[in-house]
Amino acid sequence: MAHFDTEYQRLEASYNDSPPGEENLLVHVPEGSKSQWHHIENLDLFFQRIYNLHQKNGFTCMLLGEIFELVQLVFVVAFTVFLANCVDYDILFANKLVNHTDSAKVTLPDAFLPVDVCSARIRDNVFVIFILVISGVFWLHRLVKFIYNICCYWEIRSFYINALKLSMADLPYFTWQEVQARIVEIQKEHQICIHKKELTELDIYHRILRFKNYMVAMINKSLLPIRSRLPFLGDVVFYTRGLKYNFELIFFWGPSSLFENEWSLKTEYKRGGSRLELADRLSSRILWIGIANLLLCPVILIWQILYAFFSYTEVIKREPGSLGARCWSLYGRFYLRHFNELDHELMSRLSKGYKASSKYMNCFMSPLLTVVAKNVVFFAGSILAVLIALTIYDEDVLAVEHVLTSITLLGVCITVCRSFIPDKHLVFCPEQLLKVILAHIHYMPDHWQGNAHRYETRDEFAQLFQYKAVFILEELLSPVITPFILIFCLRRKSLEIIDFFRNFTVEVVGVGDTCSFAQMDVRQHGHPAWMSAGRTEASIYQQAEDGKTELSLMHFAITNPRWQPPRESTTFISQLKEKVQREAACGQQGVLHENHILTSTQSESEPHSLIANLLAGPPPLGSLHLGRDASVSNHAVDVGLMEGTSALRSFSPLSGSQHLRGSFASTRLPRGDGAGLVGGRAMAGSGADARTASSGSSAWEGQLNSMVLSEYASTEMSIHALYIHELHKQQSRGQLSRHTWHRRDSDESSEGAPDDNEGLRNFPRSNTFPCATTPHQEGAMLHNTGQRRYGGTTESVSGGLRSAPRLPRIPMGGWAEEAQAGRHHDPVPEEDELPPHIQKVT
Amino acid sequence: MNCRSEVLEVSVEGRQVDEAILALLHTILLHRSTGKFHYKKEGTYSIGTVGTQDIDCDFIDFTFVRVSSEELDRAIRKAVGEFKEALSNSGSDGMGQISLEFYQKKKSRWPFSDECIPWEVWSIKVNVVNLANEQERQICREKVGEKLGEKVINIVEVINRHEYLPKMPTQSEVDNVFDTSLKDVQPYLYKITYQITDSLGTSVSTTVRRLIKDTLAL
Repeated sequence: MAHFDTEYQRLEASYNDSPPGEENLLVHVPEGSKSQWHHIENLDLFFQRIYNLHQKNGFTCMLLGEIFELVQLVFVVAFTVFLANCVDYDILFANKLVNHTDSAKVTLPDAFLPVDVCSARIRDNVFVIFILVISGVFWLHRLVKFIYNICCYWEIRSFYINALKLSMADLPYFTWQEVQARIVEIQKEHQICIHKKELTELDIYHRILRFKNYMVAMINKSLLPIRSRLPFLGDVVFYTRGLKYNFELIFFWGPSSLFENEWSLKTEYKRGGSRLELADRLSSRILWIGIANLLLCPVILIWQILYAFFSYTEVIKREPGSLGARCWSLYGRFYLRHFNELDHELMSRLSKGYKASSKYMNCFMSPLLTVVAKNVVFFAGSILAVLIALTIYDEDVLAVEHVLTSITLLGVCITVCRSFIPDKHLVFCPEQLLKVILAHIHYMPDHWQGNAHRYETRDEFAQLFQYKAVFILEELLSPVITPFILIFCLRRKSLEIIDFFRNFTVEVVGVGDTCSFAQMDVRQHGHPAWMSAGRTEASIYQQAEDGKTELSLMHFAITNPRWQPPRESTTFISQLKEKVQREAACGQQGVLHENHILTSTQSESEPHSLIANLLAGPPPLGSLHLGRDASVSNHAVDVGLMEGTSALRSFSPLSGSQHLRGSFASTRLPRGDGAGLVGGRAMAGSGADARTASSGSSAWEGQLNSMVLSEYASTEMSIHALYIHELHKQQSRGQLSRHTWHRRDSDESSEGAPDDNEGLRNFPRSNTFPCATTPHQEGAMLHNTGQRRYGGTTESVSGGLRSAPRLPRIPMGGWAEEAQAGRHHDPVPEEDELPPHIQKVT
Repeated sequence: MNCRSEVLEVSVEGRQVDEAILALLHTILLHRSTGKFHYKKEGTYSIGTVGTQDIDCDFIDFTFVRVSSEELDRAIRKAVGEFKEALSNSGSDGMGQISLEFYQKKKSRWPFSDECIPWEVWSIKVNVVNLANEQERQICREKVGEKLGEKVINIVEVINRHEYLPKMPTQSEVDNVFDTSLKDVQPYLYKITYQITDSLGTSVSTTVRRLIKDTLAL
């Protein structure tokens, strides 16, 4: 056998089989247990609790608040029972004499009945026992809930501390947007939601506001029977907390409600097949709940009365005027709420509009009442004066029976009457006030515009902004009326409700079933009269009323700058912003001179009302930029908006925060609006903003910055809301009504305006041009040389400034008259006649 | 809600029910099982091996792969058997749903019991058909086999996606993620539940439980 000498040979190294399952196996390192926050079961509740804890300023505040609420409850019941059973009123009113040996003084303890008498009285009174049992059950329920909540929120607290790295002490100084940003951040690491790698702001909002969005949509589509026409009272809106509670019980979480759990609608409601049968079932359920309400009515009623009595009497005693004060009604809060708007956002918006709103309501003083009130004040005042004078002369007058009472009553009477007498030195301009209000509340019916001075408008506004007294009264009546609304009105709507939930529920991956309106999709729910013409594919049934989709989209995009909207929404937003920006840039040229007026008014008015003034109409929007530019030493006259803003940045003491905002979204042009506005305000000497810049690199700076940022955002939103409304108005209605005009007009006429600006200045402000000019891209579409309405002078002056001629926008109807009207007014009107800030053109 | 859910639908003849369901459940579990973990001192672990086994169906032209663990097979067969029985006893048109739910446990503080939070639910909707003659049965045999093949590919596709899975636990927590009771294989914690169409509405106990929870959460 031949011997081959090859390189192939036996491996000498010892090859020993390692025992199975030892060293050579792959070794893994477990990664679990790093966080307990991955994969949370009920994200809806989780996010809601995070939000609540944030709104209640941390765990301790919340704990204390809840404990006090429990104590309050015991106190209310115990004190009422005590007052009713254990006080000898005869002694208190001195109808019966106390047989004291040492002194004649009656002390409070004398008026108390002895314990055994007292308890015997309580025991004999079935009604009191009944109340005690009911409130005992109620209190126990609250106690159990409290303990349960504490356990849950303890978990949330540790989530804040361990996962979000926010200590409870710092929590009040963080805005919700910051907390939210951290949640989005930790999703990447912990995966609290397992469907997606990343969580968006919209997801969080959807989960927190799932049911609120449904309610807002239902009110927007007037599905709920809260509006009724009564024989004597006219149009009445009745929407109380009790009613709202019942609606939510029926739709969302009550036994056999439409929702299977927090996040999904029951499948049978998603299919159209058995809608009639489902409607029947719903209506019988509503009937039962209505009957239950009816049965419980006495209990709830007693509770409401007691509660109202103890929470409001103290306030009324302290300041009797507070009943005459107003508050935003519950209906108003839903009518004015955007889709995806959290409570604190809504409340801050409404609070900002409060002052202007109450001013507006005060415009409407009945002259008749004023005359009567003046005389009542005169007579009551004389008597009061005499009584007081007598008292001062000799204190014993007070001891005479009923003198103290009459002094008090007369005082109250005078206070009440005073509120009917208007301040002599005030001038009101309802239209302008309504604009300021609109800038904050963002929604109003179309027919208010131009009718601000009418009583109908006022009455309708009063539905949103009611007297506190009316609010309390409605709450008191609610237990009685609610069952009837449920049984007689809501039941009739059951088929519509079923259809609503079927048609307007979409399932979003990672969120569950949400109201499709809350997607803020202009294509699906846009309204052609609200800027989404051409984009929307919605039928009338699907369109959200009052431009809710569009405004909500804007609002959400502005409050959450990091949110990436879907493509179509992005184009909508960017186009709108572009338009606003261009307008501002154009207006800037046009109202150059107004700057001086503004600066002069600035000095005499407080900064906030300045903003309000500025916001009163789109032309001031332009002038605002101008005011800013001028204060930056006029070098930005024909610079674009962005440049102007950046120039401002370098000048403004606010530069730090400006840059911060810039870094938030530097590509978003209209940031400039907000920045400019607040810049102007800072110029006017707003202390808080200046402090931002001056304070060092403390943690506070970050907080303040973010607060200032949210301020910017709300201002920016105001501008956009006004703009959208303005556009809508011009689009849907050809004619404008002139409205009253006051002070600024005269200011302006007294101001010598530079001649070369004359033409330009007139043009954006003339209200006699009924129709807006279009933004350029639309202008190209609608282009029609026959409609060119501006004189040669305007063109020649403005030609260089505007890239395209301004064209009238074609309205939905009435195009012919409008064109005519436009031509009719073609000669530029005298400027003194023009109310300066009505129609800012688009 | 915070869990994925996949729905599979099959329509089979009465005697094919258990094999079809077993095929699907075993396919899912094959991908959702690992070998036993052997923890070592430094907090690391190694994974044992898992054997696989081909199973031929009697009434369907189909062969599937399952983990070769008798214990696991027995547990699943038991659940499927119950389902089949309930299905045949229901007397209705033979619709039912059996779901395989993977969950993880979360330890919670004293007053509450441990939470079981599902992260993936596979629902198999079964529709039982009645066949008239032998020829139809023959056709059905092949067709169901093809359908099951498609479903298996579906399942594999879903499982292949890069999606959330519970993180690998440390020794102390292994019971919260994996079912460690079996001696040769270690699937993720799972639960098999079934519903017959008649009672598809939520049962009374869940409603009551929800009611209490809702009142508390008010």
